[in-house]
Amino acid sequence: METDAPPSDHELMLAVRDGDLDRMGDLFERHHGPLFGYLAKLTGDRSAAEDITQVVFQRMLKYRHTYRDGGSFTAWMYHLARRCASDHFRKSLTAPVAVDPSELERHADESSRADESAAIRDDHALLHRALGLLDRDDREVLLLSRLQELSFAEVAGILECSVGAARVRAHRALRTLRDHYLQLQKDPTS
Amino acid sequence: MNCQTCHERMTELADAKLDPETAALVRAHIEGCPDCRREFESLSQTLEALDKLPAAAPSHRLRARVMGDIEAEKLTLRRHAGWASSIRAAADSRRDRRPSWVPILLQSLGACALLVAGFALGERNATQRQLADLRARVDTMSQLFDQSVLQKRATGERLESVLAAAATQKPDERLIDGLINSLAFDTSVNVRLNALNALYLHADQDVVRAGVLACLPREPNPLVQVAMIDFLAATRDREAATELRKLVVDSRADADVRESARRAIDQL
Repeated sequence: METDAPPSDHELMLAVRDGDLDRMGDLFERHHGPLFGYLAKLTGDRSAAEDITQVVFQRMLKYRHTYRDGGSFTAWMYHLARRCASDHFRKSLTAPVAVDPSELERHADESSRADESAAIRDDHALLHRALGLLDRDDREVLLLSRLQELSFAEVAGILECSVGAARVRAHRALRTLRDHYLQLQKDPTS
Repeated sequence: MNCQTCHERMTELADAKLDPETAALVRAHIEGCPDCRREFESLSQTLEALDKLPAAAPSHRLRARVMGDIEAEKLTLRRHAGWASSIRAAADSRRDRRPSWVPILLQSLGACALLVAGFALGERNATQRQLADLRARVDTMSQLFDQSVLQKRATGERLESVLAAAATQKPDERLIDGLINSLAFDTSVNVRLNALNALYLHADQDVVRAGVLACLPREPNPLVQVAMIDFLAATRDREAATELRKLVVDSRADADVRESARRAIDQL
């Protein structure tokens, strides 16, 4: 039996660019979860992350004609997300605060959450706090580098730097996170 | 391989993203260097913890909001497509009419037709002169527009004026001029974009298309430039081709603007 492969993100976005706007709905279904998760960790603010996610899709609609034939949809989307997040930080004029882990995880995975031990939740809380202690630039490069859909070359493109520079920045950010995390494990009140 | 290079490649080694040759080099260094081994184990644990961190999920409102945005954009697209097609239809009907009545007039009225044709030619020349004059006036701000008065008003007020003009069903020349003025000279990108949207409704007027075309080279914002190019492409204004070609080869122009200009030329 012959089965049609689902259209790629790139094909869907080209269709959107050509005026088939319903395909943006398909792209939303595919990508809004990881995008929102990234923005929630970046901003430490669920409400802001939701607003920024909406703005990212608005901009994809508005600037659809700028999408390139040879482009990577995911890289383009996170490039726009980066701009939208920067606008958000500029408007709020406040550095993102450490997240409230219970709030972040509230809708995460209700079924598996019941099985999580208190120790794991505590560990997640510490890691959320450690993430919140990073500079925004460090958090940004680290979270982008952990997205499976993006290569380092694409992360470098989003950050507008060389691949080598992106690699070094991600490594330094990870070390800083590790140091904060270990410090918090030793002394959660620090 | 030194420790520094090894450190920078640890994340990719943990993610199995290195090519086999580099991975073997990094692994060999880690096995022979206790410091790097400790560092690798420690960073790998942090990466594992980070990757296991539960992702937040958005509320159901987000889907409704984005789907609402998509529907709104579809409505706008349909409206613009309607205007573009009506403009094309009007242009086609003018093109179709011209060859039919001129020969009839020539056949039936003989020598008188020469007078009519001469008048028509003179009228076309007059239209060209008017358009050239308009472009010159748009370029010389002071003759067309009292900027000092406009800029004293708040952005919100100026935007309200533009939106009110857009809502007027049968605008007079003054109102059309006002919209072109706003597109040419307003300092707010939002006001200029709304002025351009309002002008879509009157794109069948030569003066409107010439006004947008005259504003294009002086527009500093790529977003507005792209919107103007879309306007000129949608209105199939062949007179725009020269200006668009200039943009395509202008290395100082934004890449998206150049790409839009290239697309518009294809459409024209």
